[in-house]
Amino acid sequence: MTALVRYQLTTLLLSQRYLAPLLLFTGLVAVLTSNDSGPLTAAHGAAAAAMLLAACWLTMALTGLEDRPHRALLTAATGSRLRLLTGTVLTALLGCLPLTALGLALPLLVGTHTPTAADLLLGTEAQLTCACTGTAVGLLASRPVVRRQGYGLLLALALLLALTVSKGLPPVNLLLTRLSAHHDSADLLASTALLLALAAALLAAAAALAHTVAARRD
Amino acid sequence: MLHCEAVAVGKRYGRGPWILRDIDLRLAPGDVLAVLGANGSGKSTLLRILAGLTRPTTGRLTGPAPGSRRAAVGYVPDRFAAQERLTAAGYLTHLGRIRGLPVTTARRRAGDLLDRLALVGGPDAALRTLSKGNAQKVALAQALLVPPDLLVLDEPWSGLDASAHTVLAELIAETAADGGAVVFTDHREAVAEARATATRALAGGRLTARADAVPSAPAPPAPPAEIVLTGPPGPAAPDWQVLPGVLALARRGPELHLRVEQPHTDAVLLTALRHGCSVRAVTRPAPPSAPDASSAAAPAPRTAAR
Repeated sequence: MTALVRYQLTTLLLSQRYLAPLLLFTGLVAVLTSNDSGPLTAAHGAAAAAMLLAACWLTMALTGLEDRPHRALLTAATGSRLRLLTGTVLTALLGCLPLTALGLALPLLVGTHTPTAADLLLGTEAQLTCACTGTAVGLLASRPVVRRQGYGLLLALALLLALTVSKGLPPVNLLLTRLSAHHDSADLLASTALLLALAAALLAAAAALAHTVAARRD
Repeated sequence: MLHCEAVAVGKRYGRGPWILRDIDLRLAPGDVLAVLGANGSGKSTLLRILAGLTRPTTGRLTGPAPGSRRAAVGYVPDRFAAQERLTAAGYLTHLGRIRGLPVTTARRRAGDLLDRLALVGGPDAALRTLSKGNAQKVALAQALLVPPDLLVLDEPWSGLDASAHTVLAELIAETAADGGAVVFTDHREAVAEARATATRALAGGRLTARADAVPSAPAPPAPPAEIVLTGPPGPAAPDWQVLPGVLALARRGPELHLRVEQPHTDAVLLTALRHGCSVRAVTRPAPPSAPDASSAAAPAPRTAAR
C-alpha cells in the first residue's frame, strides 16, 4: 500500500494538478481570515469550508490522472480494484494534510490571535472532517464513476452545495454552524470529534459506492 | 493447479448488445493461447475478463483473479499512457514496488527487462518521449517484473519492431516454461499460429476453436474451364488451337467445346466475342481427384448460360 500511495503522490506532483486546489485553498483562507482579530473558531470555519472544496477537487484530479487502460494495468499490479481505491483515498487524505497545516498557520500569520492547544486541535479536527467529506464527494464524482467529466463536476457542485447549505445537516453544515456560534474551542472538541468520525464513515460509504459503480462500469 | 477457467461467460454493458456470449475457456500452466478476431470483436473485453479486471455479466471465472494472494497477473493493455514525466526506469521501479518487490530488486529487474527489449533512449528516457513501440516495451516490462502466473497481452505484436518481436516471443516462451499461462490477441493468423500452442477465433461474441492442423499452403491450381460457343459465321473463325491456354477443342454439331486453362478464360472469351461467336456456357468441372477437405467446400460447377 505504501508503494501505491508513493506512486500516486508522485504522479500527482508531476502532473501539477494539485496546484489549482492548493491555490484555491490558500486564497480562500487568506481572504476570509486576513486582518481578523476575532475568535479563532471563525477562522477554523473558514479553513474547513475551503478544505471541503480543495479536498473534493484534489480527489477528482487524482482519480482523473489515469485513463481506463492504465487503471486496468494498475489494478492488475496492485492485485485488486479495492486496493487501488484504498490507495487513492489514502493519497487524497495525505494530500490534505499539508493543506491542514496551512489552514492552521495562515490565520495566525495574516490575523492577530493568541492560539491555545485546544484551538489548534479543534482546527485540525474541523479541517479533517471537511477533508474526509470532500474526498467522499470527489470519489462519487470521479472519472471511474461518472464517465463524462462535465457531469461529474455538476454532481460534485450539487453535493457540495447540499452539504454546505442544508440547515443542521451533519457533518459539514452542523460543523460550520457550531464554529460560528461558539467561541470557546475547548467546548467544541468532543462534538467535532464525533463529526470527524461521521465524516470518516461517510468517506467509507462513498468509497464502497464508488467501488460498486466503477466495477459495474468496467 | 488450474490457472484460469471461464465458464459460460457473457458480457454486456448496461442494456447494450452482448459483446461476449457463452465463452468457455480453460488455461493450464504452460498454455499459450492466441485469440484471433477482427477489430471490435470483443477481444479486449475477453482479455480484461480473464485478467479479472472486468466482471462478466453472466457465467463465472475461476483462477488467479486479482485479489488471490498467490497469483500474479501481468496485464498489458493495447494502449499505454502512464504519467509522462516519469522515466521508464522510475516508472518500472514504482510498479515493481507496488507488486511487493524491494526497491533494489525492482530497479534491477526493470533494468534487465529494458536492456533485453532494447528500449531506445535507455532506461532514463522520460515516458513522454517514447514512441508507440517503445512505450509498448515499457508496458510489457511492467507485466514481467514479477514472473506472472497469468500473462495477458492485448495486441502485443503491434508497434514492435522485428528484434523486439523475437524478444517478446522469448519472454512468452519463458513465462510458459516457468508454469505461467499466456493469453494474447492479434488479428493476424500467421503471427498467432507461430507463437501460440492453441488458437481460438472470436466472432459475433462467440469463441470457436480453429482447425489448427490446416496449414496455409498455396491453393492448388484451378481446374480448366469449359467454354461452349456457337458460330462464328464463315471464314472469320480464329485458329482456336494457337490461342494461349486452350487445351482441347471439340465440335459437337453447331457447338464448339473448348477446354481452357482458368487464367486464360477471359482472353479466350474476348477473342470469341470479337469474332462474332456466341457464348452458350462457361462451366467449371469438379476436379477429378479433390482432397476430402476441399471437396465439401468446393462450389458446384458454375454455369453462365444465355
